[in-house]
Amino acid sequence: MSETSRRKFIAAAGVSAAAGSALIAGSGRAEAVPDPRRAQEPVLALVDDHRGSVVRLLVGEREIVVEDRDLVTRILNAAGGN
Amino acid sequence: MSSHREAPEISKDPVADGTDTYAFMHPTQPDTVVLIANFIPLQKPDGGPNFYEFADDVLYEIHVSNTAKSEPDVTYQFRFTTEVRGPSFLYNTGPITSISDKTWNRPQYYTLTRVKNGRSKVLAERVPVPPVNVGVRSTPDYEVLAGQAVRNLGGGRKVFAGQRADAFYVDLGSIFDLGALRPFNEAHLINMPNMGGVNAVQSYNVHSIALQVRTADLTKDGKPASVVVRDRRNVIGVWATASRRSGRVFDSRKGRYDGKGPFVQVSRLGNPLFNEVIVPMGRKDRWNASPINKDADYARFVQQPELAKLLPVLYPGVFPNLAAYTKPRADLDAILLTGIPDGVVPGFQNYTGPVKSDMLRLNMAVPPNPDPNPLGVVGGDLAGFPNGRRIIDDVVTIELRAVAGVTIPLVDDTFTPDGAAAAVQDGTSNTNAELLDDFPFLGLPGGGYQTTPGETSATGVA
Repeated sequence: MSETSRRKFIAAAGVSAAAGSALIAGSGRAEAVPDPRRAQEPVLALVDDHRGSVVRLLVGEREIVVEDRDLVTRILNAAGGN
Repeated sequence: MSSHREAPEISKDPVADGTDTYAFMHPTQPDTVVLIANFIPLQKPDGGPNFYEFADDVLYEIHVSNTAKSEPDVTYQFRFTTEVRGPSFLYNTGPITSISDKTWNRPQYYTLTRVKNGRSKVLAERVPVPPVNVGVRSTPDYEVLAGQAVRNLGGGRKVFAGQRADAFYVDLGSIFDLGALRPFNEAHLINMPNMGGVNAVQSYNVHSIALQVRTADLTKDGKPASVVVRDRRNVIGVWATASRRSGRVFDSRKGRYDGKGPFVQVSRLGNPLFNEVIVPMGRKDRWNASPINKDADYARFVQQPELAKLLPVLYPGVFPNLAAYTKPRADLDAILLTGIPDGVVPGFQNYTGPVKSDMLRLNMAVPPNPDPNPLGVVGGDLAGFPNGRRIIDDVVTIELRAVAGVTIPLVDDTFTPDGAAAAVQDGTSNTNAELLDDFPFLGLPGGGYQTTPGETSATGVA
């Protein structure tokens, strides 16, 4: 991810956080904290259905399926250049 | 054929394209089984300067099912790593007289892993692949190079991976020109003079992964196969697959793709010709990606094969009994999807249960035949296809005759095959490289320098 798009991604996440405090409290995404178990290699994220809530994360030789509509929204926002 | 370029998607990905799978009892060591899977079809031996090789980003596997579930109970995985030794633009910078020669600029190695009941065990690491047969100057004694690539794994077990001569023979040019069989050209709807078949695969190479393993390595209980043919414990199912990472991203800094995510199946092959002539065009890609134990989805194409309907149309008046037969083809269903139950062929069975799945089914209790008949079970030789598949088996003729109706009486004694059914053939014979007497059995690959172009023509007959 380029620096520009990274900033956009962070900005998009900030917009999402400001949109609803309940959601922030529930997901804990207001400020991401690195988890000790986090992936530390390239990750490819796929949103097959932009109306859905599923993100497929391809990392190493694994696929992690995340169901998170908010994450989908933030990715779509970033992909739209917003 | 038998599965060379058989589906639209895989035909664009030759390094992952499985062409033939073989499973047979070793002819002189019958407590061992030989498993071979070929990939990368129709290699012209002089196809350099970047010669054919296994792909580092493809997972090549041979699977064995030893239960009624048609699941991979034992899997042998081959993963390749290719290196570049020096700055030369050449594949080799001098004669390659040993598999470890530094003159070979692009050596390849592989790791062999066995996955059994979900547990992985590395059986061999950094096993060298021989170079391709470049030509008389570069690979002056190819037999030596190929021999150095056979790795003994102990207990009579062996492994090999590398280029070999394709052993399959078929008249591709005629069969896929509106189902024509040259020996029967005069009877074809668009008739021409009869002539002999043309072996389209002659002189082409493939890349093979080959194993010789003990029967006890493959049975469910880990004990050697017995001599009791009726004992279903002795029957194994065998198929090969190639898989790619589910995600690929082109890295312009490296100039190649990087894989992301898990390996997903992109090619599979059990019985010869299944995807090629049974599965409809619009489903071939999905079939390649699907697990074998979901083949019930394709059973109707086996039970009502399009080719059986085409034969009476393409050869008017030749197959009247076949044309009139409208029942589901239980014979083909047994041969291709479940195995032949006990009681159908005297003294034989290779039934794996009701789960419909395309795999070779080998009854390891049937001893190797010292005088094999290329027509296999149809020819009265129970050690040949569809009891597994030997390299010498003439699977094109066997399957053509089966589709034409010669095997229907096995399951339906009210049917009389047409006279032509037992004679149908594409007219080819095994004009490929001479086979070896021992592992890995497939002939040495043709050399680039030794290859001359064939003949063709844009119009008329070449």
